[in-house]
Amino acid sequence: MYALRRWWDRNGIRLGLIALALGSAWVVRETQGAAVYEIYRFLTRPFVGSPVEPAEPAPDPRVRELEQRLVELESQNRQLQELLGYVQDRPSQGVVAPVIGRSADHWWQQVILGRGSHDGIQVGAIVSGDGGIVGRVTHVTSNTSRVLLISDPTSQVGVTISRSRNMGYIRGQAANRVIMEFFDKVPDVRPGDVVATSSYSRLFPPGLPVGTVESVNLNKSPAPEAVIALSAPISHLEWVIVTPNPKADAALLPSQSANAALPLDEATTDSATGDAP
Amino acid sequence: MWDLADWHPYTRQALNWAVIAGSVLLCLLILPTRLPGMELLNTGPNWLLIWVVAWSVKRTVFQGAIAGLALGLIQDGMTAPDPSHALSLVVVGVMTARLQKQRYIKEDFISIALIVFGMAVVAETIMALQFSWQSLSDNSASRELGSIWLYHQQVALCSAILSSLWAPVLYYPLNRWWEQLQDIEQPQL
Repeated sequence: MYALRRWWDRNGIRLGLIALALGSAWVVRETQGAAVYEIYRFLTRPFVGSPVEPAEPAPDPRVRELEQRLVELESQNRQLQELLGYVQDRPSQGVVAPVIGRSADHWWQQVILGRGSHDGIQVGAIVSGDGGIVGRVTHVTSNTSRVLLISDPTSQVGVTISRSRNMGYIRGQAANRVIMEFFDKVPDVRPGDVVATSSYSRLFPPGLPVGTVESVNLNKSPAPEAVIALSAPISHLEWVIVTPNPKADAALLPSQSANAALPLDEATTDSATGDAP
Repeated sequence: MWDLADWHPYTRQALNWAVIAGSVLLCLLILPTRLPGMELLNTGPNWLLIWVVAWSVKRTVFQGAIAGLALGLIQDGMTAPDPSHALSLVVVGVMTARLQKQRYIKEDFISIALIVFGMAVVAETIMALQFSWQSLSDNSASRELGSIWLYHQQVALCSAILSSLWAPVLYYPLNRWWEQLQDIEQPQL
């Protein structure tokens, strides 16, 4: 008994401190580092400027013409959809959020945003930058949120070639390029084609711009592949727009959906059932 | 300037723990930043690894392992817990403590930078091994074996170079502090 007592006197404090250290580390892990990110956001707040509009280059007459035609076509499209009784909820206004940090390790492609649940951001919300989608929100604290970028290998998104409607899915390459795998054996695709999210994607609503086809490899086995250059500047994001996700229910379970997002074996044999739920 | 030696041992201990916790918090806060000069191919220095090395160099294997475990758990929380960063940092802590630096390697910045360089490679390799294990055991895993190891080369090299270059920034003040504490406490023993 005495020996035990002496041992405790000598090592009790040390044991307590080890338990304290491991305990608080566990708490940080279980709370997804919320406290750390809140402090981080508080400290970086002075350095976050206001969103700067990029200096507009003098509008090219050709660009202006195309923009006007786009507006015209969009309104026509909307009218036709109304005529058909096609129901689609209007895209709601997003929250502009500053990018205050990037992934805290080297293997995950994430960014940290300086807005959180106080501003109405929810898990599963869609994050887009200049030119296209960037990723989706995976964790939210009251003032920050963590975004899994589409350039991360674990984030697989069902996409379609806008011109030919050929389906496939993209997987990240940890850079500004992603690989698109087609469900068809002989897809109709050529460099320059625009890629958008498909209606089979479980995590993203259809029709969001992703990027353009850079090169195509039709001989790739088991499925033809294309290299897609993302249209949003993933590697130097400063401001992004976070919009609520109509498909948020699927996105709410990121771990499950990451595993079950794509039944790949089906994907290669059956062209349409890709990542359909 | 106050003389540390006049302080009550418990106050000194408390201050020591505050320094430890503060330096860890500082490392955690630098992790998500990509400051100019701290970035190569979108990779920054692995600050937690530098901290674990600085901690374990003059401590026992057990202490190194505990520090690696705690910081690894925190990093899991800050990124994604699967696969765990704790395993790589525990191995780094144990290996650094086993090195017996005082005996074999001369005490200076260069040797710390060298140790950090080696440990960064080890840590990234363990992460890559875990990812490979995932992709081998689970067919629907999203990372492919080839791309994991291709990415590993890039990450291991960038992380090792940057971490070893930035290691003295963290190691020097921490080491100074712990040496001072030891000098004060030694005569009393």
